[in-house]
Amino acid sequence: MATLLRALRAGRALRGLGGALAAPPATNPQCSSLRRGFQCSMLRLQDESKSDRPPDSSSTTYHEHYQAHSTEQDTTTASHGASAAEPEAEDAPRPNTSYQDQSGEQGEEYETEEQLQARILTAALEFVPQHGWSMEAIASGAETLGLSSASTGMFHNGSGDLVLHFIAQCNSQLTEILAEQHKQVQLGQAEPKKTADFLRDAVETRLRMHIPYIETWPQAMSILLLPHNIPDSLKHLSTLVDDIWYYAGDRSTDMNWYTKRAALTGIYNTTELVMLQDSSADFEDTWNFLDNRIQDVVNMASTAKQVQSTGEAVVQGLMGAAVTLKNLTGMNQRR
Amino acid sequence: MQRAAHTALYDWSHVLGPAMIRQCLTCRAPLQLSSRAYSVIPPPRDTEEKEMLDRILRVDHAGEYGANRIYAGQMAVLGRSRTGPLIQEMWDQEKKHLEKFNEILAENRVRPTALLPLWNVAGFLLGASTALLGKEGAMACTVAVEESISEHYNSQIRALMEKDPERYTELLKVIKEFRDDEMEHHDTGLEHDAETLPGYWLLKNAIQLGCKAAIYVSQRV
Repeated sequence: MATLLRALRAGRALRGLGGALAAPPATNPQCSSLRRGFQCSMLRLQDESKSDRPPDSSSTTYHEHYQAHSTEQDTTTASHGASAAEPEAEDAPRPNTSYQDQSGEQGEEYETEEQLQARILTAALEFVPQHGWSMEAIASGAETLGLSSASTGMFHNGSGDLVLHFIAQCNSQLTEILAEQHKQVQLGQAEPKKTADFLRDAVETRLRMHIPYIETWPQAMSILLLPHNIPDSLKHLSTLVDDIWYYAGDRSTDMNWYTKRAALTGIYNTTELVMLQDSSADFEDTWNFLDNRIQDVVNMASTAKQVQSTGEAVVQGLMGAAVTLKNLTGMNQRR
Repeated sequence: MQRAAHTALYDWSHVLGPAMIRQCLTCRAPLQLSSRAYSVIPPPRDTEEKEMLDRILRVDHAGEYGANRIYAGQMAVLGRSRTGPLIQEMWDQEKKHLEKFNEILAENRVRPTALLPLWNVAGFLLGASTALLGKEGAMACTVAVEESISEHYNSQIRALMEKDPERYTELLKVIKEFRDDEMEHHDTGLEHDAETLPGYWLLKNAIQLGCKAAIYVSQRV
């Protein structure tokens, strides 16, 4: 937290010095700053419509803003990623509650385009039951934030962006829940679950996040199947499955890595499809289906083990028979 | 403080768009952060670094796995001959290397290469077929493979040193140690008449070409 404050102050100081100093070396400039600059100027037009935004000093370039902000972001990510032992004695009074601010604005700091897009998409989610996964939902979402509905122009992929954003949000929520559970187990406050139960709970938790949007979910799924969305949706799916297996305790480094994830992907996809057609109370049928599929996979794994050990026993038996035959026919004798 | 950090992280991940979700590395970070302090790999700063480290670890793991299988093949043919104990000793060292990499991969959530079954079979066949040429054949194969691997480790060491030697000290230590072991195997092979094999030059270059191809592919698949 202290690092974050220092970075914030550093950012403000940079702005104050009018950008004459060399910008701090950005630890990771993600995209060309030129593109940022262009879209930053677009944001500037929208900023003017927002009443709570203080006018930025025109002497600084947006480039330095972004650099300062990305340093701050990296510092934040780094400080979050640092070891759990953060200094307890943090009683420096925070200037504002921007860290708890759900909107993601760092006080009067510059907001990146991606953060703004994320905010709009999150706001758009509440209009999805009404307008479906479409540009109208995004436009309504933008309007609730006080932006003009023309800001939908930022979203070249439109409904694809909205669905992918929702999925990413659900996945990160699931990951947090799993991490929290894992911490509980490590602290000894909870019993570790068996793998089958763990998988069932994880998939159920994740699929329950679709319930508020279940009416329009078929539309969302078909959007994800569009060719230009397939790489992203596959990436989200593989991240999800990898996370679930990791927290289930899988540490394999051979072909099992692939077979386990393939199995779980199959389970997840089929259960998702079943859920679309399920009309039972609280999706009882879906969870039963999920149970059965997971049982199938568990059975298959133990069957595979049995087949392997049977095979080994058979081979040994054959070898024994061959040696016996050699002895009987006298072929073993050296002449 | 933990709660505040946790809440802030929660907000942060709400804010990050799909493009940035990959950057929510804390959630995807290895659990070692909560369980132990020591680790060979530093927590990655961003996706690019994670990809680079993943690639390095994946190909190293594949290499050790392949080397393991090569020695297994050689032992299957020459296990009961005079060179058996020598090959067994080199094989044991490779087993230790593979174990270490298995540990590192599991800890850091690195995907192993999908071609492992291929290296399984190919390595065994290579070891067995060169061993059928006799002890010199097996030694020549060892020399060729170990030279490739040492060269490969050296280039990785160079790349890591160029980037940031302090950040990767632990990893560099591991790779240097393994590289020294492989060089030792290489010298052992030379000592045991590898070069007396007829067609040594041809065999050596063919094997090294195969190794280069295997390394190239394992980094990506």
